[in-house]
Amino acid sequence: MIEQIRDKARELLEGKQVSCFIGYEQGTRGKARPAFIYAPQEVERLVWDEGCAHNLTTYLHQFKNPVKRGEPPPRVGIMVKPCDARSLNVLFHEKQLDRARVYIVGLTCGGMKDDGQLLARCQRCSERVPVVYDLLVGEKPGTVGQEDYADVAEMEGMSPRERLAFWAREFERCIRCYACRQACPACYCFECVAEQLDPPWMGIAIDLPQKQFFHVMRAYHLAGRCAGCNACEEACPMEIPLSLLNRKIAKEVEALFGYKTGQDAITPPPLATFKKEEEVPL
Amino acid sequence: MGDFAGKIKVMARDQLLAWLDDLAGRSTLIGPKPVGEKILYKPVRHSAEIALDFTKTDLSAKEYFLPPTETILSMKREKKGFSVEEPSLDGEQVLFGLRPCDARALRVMDALFLDKEPADPYYAERRGKTTLIGLACREMGEQCFCTSLGLAPDEANDVDLMLTEIEGGYAVQVVTDKGKALLGAVALQEVEGVPPKPIVHQEKVPILEAGKWPEHFDAPYWARLSDRCLSCRLCTYVCPTCRCFDIRDAEVSDKGIERLRAWDSCMAEGYRRIAGGHNPRPTKAERLRNRFYCKFCYYPQDFGPIACVGCGRCIAQCPVNVDAVEVLEGLAAL
Repeated sequence: MIEQIRDKARELLEGKQVSCFIGYEQGTRGKARPAFIYAPQEVERLVWDEGCAHNLTTYLHQFKNPVKRGEPPPRVGIMVKPCDARSLNVLFHEKQLDRARVYIVGLTCGGMKDDGQLLARCQRCSERVPVVYDLLVGEKPGTVGQEDYADVAEMEGMSPRERLAFWAREFERCIRCYACRQACPACYCFECVAEQLDPPWMGIAIDLPQKQFFHVMRAYHLAGRCAGCNACEEACPMEIPLSLLNRKIAKEVEALFGYKTGQDAITPPPLATFKKEEEVPL
Repeated sequence: MGDFAGKIKVMARDQLLAWLDDLAGRSTLIGPKPVGEKILYKPVRHSAEIALDFTKTDLSAKEYFLPPTETILSMKREKKGFSVEEPSLDGEQVLFGLRPCDARALRVMDALFLDKEPADPYYAERRGKTTLIGLACREMGEQCFCTSLGLAPDEANDVDLMLTEIEGGYAVQVVTDKGKALLGAVALQEVEGVPPKPIVHQEKVPILEAGKWPEHFDAPYWARLSDRCLSCRLCTYVCPTCRCFDIRDAEVSDKGIERLRAWDSCMAEGYRRIAGGHNPRPTKAERLRNRFYCKFCYYPQDFGPIACVGCGRCIAQCPVNVDAVEVLEGLAAL
């Protein structure tokens, strides 16, 4: 698969069809990391293995604007796994990216590993082929998982008091570093409400009330928009189970609206859509 | 380390635990504590809460000298006029299990917070009211590079007491009078022997001297490096020497206001934005470059020490592998 990826990247760069190819390369500490390839001869840096867990689509935000005024924005190539592809659809949907300006190398995926163990989110992944791509690389793997929201159900089984205690314990560790927000492709507000100081919605304090407010608010801002890529939880230095919040809301959205985020860029997202039959008479 | 002349003073493990329990009873004892999957310096009430077997904590100890959030002033409306209160630290703090890198980091911060006029009264109070019990490293961690910065994993000069693990207990080195006073009547046994030396990395990371950094300021290296940076705040918050803060007044009720000081980060997009809207560091490239220049060029030129102790936490925790060692090696090769 990697030779096919490198060949395509080389072709795109040599033909100046893209100014940058975003992929993965070997990091310094034994794991892959995001790579930005600008020259065709550098495509040999690209790798594809079970350590390529990052969602690279978040980097597309830095290629949204033209380099020079009057020019169109740059075209970029990007490697996406099935989970990442769902994020792409969200960004196309929300008109953050022009589909024509992104060359998508879609990767069939058997799952990412940490310390030789398949990640929890990969164990339950039922998609092994990206839903959007220009070039599909690899064969669809034989086994797929099944989403059962078991971890969410466990949390739902807690009484409100237990749930409050659970999250207070988790968020106590939070240092308000915003790695979760910065890693998330769907968090692209120019100025996050958490950092607005006039008025100080959340202020500057790195205390439990502010931290809880930030995480719950961010989860709500992602309702119907979170693709379940888990970049947030994987970026968190304190190993806070952030995906539980997002998946709880995703479960509710699916139950209420029959909607799964990122399957395409056409189906109207439920929280941005009003249907006449939903009108409730006063 | 001092010259032990073949004799060391030791404390048995049980003795240490009993002493820590005693300290916890009469002061705020802070030690390395397992919290979920992490090890963090936390206040403990019993020695049993302390992790004695760890490489380094996931966050540094700086939060006990420069808290993530502290109230530096309280103002309350009274029936007539206002009252103003300056909160003060209650009692003494004992910080146990401090690694030499984290202890050196306090010296680095002292250069700004204590040695430069005016001294920071809040930092100074915590620093003065805290006794440091160091714990020498058995072995340098995978991401550690303290020796490249002229530090040693068993450096004792920055703590009040230094403990080194030996079979069945700890070798104890009394460094300061403060440490001697804390030890008090605890009886140490004198035995033959030399404490084991820590296992260190053989290779050193090249550290470019401060004066040579300016010529690389415009190198394209910084823009390429910053492509993958997420511009979060993680590295600055886990770092033992990063020390930027913001101060804001917050209403606590309709009668009172607290003046808060909280951690801020030069990596945040709006950190350097000034009134009028101009931002001299608008892109990740400028901010990431600035972080390294601040540590290895500006701080040493302004205050003396390099603002990095080689603890490697930024390397261990950065979600996208921005690796300080790789940067320092890359810079040396420019």
